[in-house]
Amino acid sequence: MATTTDAPPAPRRVRLAAWAPLAVLVALCAVIALINPNFLSLGNAVRISQTAMIPLVLGIGATFIILMGSIDLSVEGVLTSAAVVLSMLVLNGANTNDYGLIGVAAVLCVGATIGFVNGIIHVKLKIPSFMTTLGTWFIGVGAANALLGGMAIRVNDPMIRGLAIERFLGFPWGVWLALFCLLVAIVIQNHTRFGRYLYALGGGEDLAALSGINVGRVRIAAFTIAGVFYAVGGILAAAQLGLGNAQMGAGRLFTTVTAVVVGGTALSGGEGGVLQTLVGVLIVVVLSNGMVLMGVPPSVQIGVQGLMIIAAVALSIDRRKMRVVK
Amino acid sequence: MTDKTTVMVRRRTFIKGASALGLAVAAPAIITKRGWAADVPTVVNSIRSLSNPYHATWNKGGEAFAKATGAEYVTLVTEGNSEKGIADIKAILAKTGGNAVINVDPNDSPDARPIVEACQQAGATVVTQWNKPNDLHPWDHDPNYVSHISFSGVPYGQQMAETLIKAMGGKGGIVALGGIESNVPAIERKAGLMKALEANPDVKLLDFQVANWSATEGLEKTNAWLTQYGDEITGIWAANDDMALAAVEALRADGRAGKVPVTGIDGIQLAVEAILAGEMAGTVSWDPFWQGGMGLSIGYHAKTGTFDPSKEPKEHREFYGTGVPVTAENAQKFYDENVKQVPQLDWNDIWGRVSGQIQYS
Repeated sequence: MATTTDAPPAPRRVRLAAWAPLAVLVALCAVIALINPNFLSLGNAVRISQTAMIPLVLGIGATFIILMGSIDLSVEGVLTSAAVVLSMLVLNGANTNDYGLIGVAAVLCVGATIGFVNGIIHVKLKIPSFMTTLGTWFIGVGAANALLGGMAIRVNDPMIRGLAIERFLGFPWGVWLALFCLLVAIVIQNHTRFGRYLYALGGGEDLAALSGINVGRVRIAAFTIAGVFYAVGGILAAAQLGLGNAQMGAGRLFTTVTAVVVGGTALSGGEGGVLQTLVGVLIVVVLSNGMVLMGVPPSVQIGVQGLMIIAAVALSIDRRKMRVVK
Repeated sequence: MTDKTTVMVRRRTFIKGASALGLAVAAPAIITKRGWAADVPTVVNSIRSLSNPYHATWNKGGEAFAKATGAEYVTLVTEGNSEKGIADIKAILAKTGGNAVINVDPNDSPDARPIVEACQQAGATVVTQWNKPNDLHPWDHDPNYVSHISFSGVPYGQQMAETLIKAMGGKGGIVALGGIESNVPAIERKAGLMKALEANPDVKLLDFQVANWSATEGLEKTNAWLTQYGDEITGIWAANDDMALAAVEALRADGRAGKVPVTGIDGIQLAVEAILAGEMAGTVSWDPFWQGGMGLSIGYHAKTGTFDPSKEPKEHREFYGTGVPVTAENAQKFYDENVKQVPQLDWNDIWGRVSGQIQYS
């Protein structure tokens, strides 16, 4: 959390409420640990990190978009097509391809391309990001469908599977990859002009445009970068489940947007950041892990999740700044 | 003020976009293979989607049957939308003038009634599978509503639990992954698991969680269990193969894949391969290839007059099909016959897999 406030150009106000999600996370961990001490074991920390790595990289990408006050629904589409393309290019159970790292690079290009297309359509055709990305979501899943005809392909590439299975300092390589993505995102957000522009756009796009920011270019770049992060999520998902199929993205969009918002990034834009998203992701993941550990009945779990979303957002929003609520 | 106008323009664009999208989705996704022949009835499969292995194989069965008879073949996809499912079937009935055979896996139980009524009105024959209201019976819609096929989840859920318990050596702790709580197959399969547990008091059910048929959720739940129960878990029962395979992956990340037996249900290819690799203990194949082809064959034979549905016994009108348990013993044979090559079925053996009339509790 410190970096956000310590960063040299930090004109944003520091509010107590901004720390609410972190407090919620700590309280949540404390309650779960009291009921089931196993929660605090190293083994569980590893498992929580494994579960969190995919929502984290997806959330990072989505944070950039939400910071601008836009929304990106193409998360599942990009993730699915990335995972499917990856499963067809690396060593797999369906064809003789074995492109390894070249395959990974190709998948990142797929993500960047879909993101770029999102940005171009959104900016040049002036279609709201909601509709644009809804369209590319379906196109992405549809393309994955067309490629596989409904079947699943097993991923056998030891490097890809290693992301989920092989460990470094006790944690799977995928977790380190996700943390690396977080680091890159922090640098982009706090130490590049592009990062500051994102906040400027979210805070007031008219002002940003009047001060000479090329708004369209920033938007296109943001969607492209987000696409790359979703593609990394696709690679991790293929590594974790050991396969690529057209259904593997299902349910990811909801977790992603929930994590971003619960972390304290405002849907209206201009407020929040990727570290908040890390906290949000951990809240969502710890909660679902903890409910199993605490023995919460399955039928109640989804309801508890809903309550947690409302509670976390209610604690963190700044009501003084809000004149209208829609 | 400026802010407000932009919002309004956006909203208008949004509505335009939304209605355009709505129209695109509502347009029937009819995939036609060839031109229309004159006399042979068109055979139609209506299924949820082509994006899951189960329905994709179902579709292949339909293609194989159509090829064997030389009939035109049409696939309709509901994409989980009941309205679209019914509208597409009505469209194809209109297009063929009722000279059609419909084999449908209704998106939801209530959909079966309007589908059956539309087919009766048009003079087409229809076979439903899995979902229909309990008070809708084929014999009330003679001769158009030929049969309803389902699979009882109880015996197969039980059989897989027993396979699992056998692989565990008759004792230990099980965790179980269930499907969507309100789904009939999920309820039945769980009931089967419970029956097997009653008969084996040395095996303890440590926990039962709902993972909504989803691999992602199955992985998360299994991860949490590995924390909570650790080595106490000596077997994992899953209500479908997607969740079972995810449980295997959670075990693999823990270095225990192949050491803890896992069972699934559905019989998808990757599950059969996992059985061959010794990572899963069993699954049940519903043989969607048979469902997609034989469902059409039953309707086709009724339509072309091979038999008169109204003269068939009730156990041919509403029946449970037969699942094929796949375990380590027969996995290789099953793989060779059903996965490596296109399955060879006798499409004229229409009642060969009847295993009893459907019972309503």
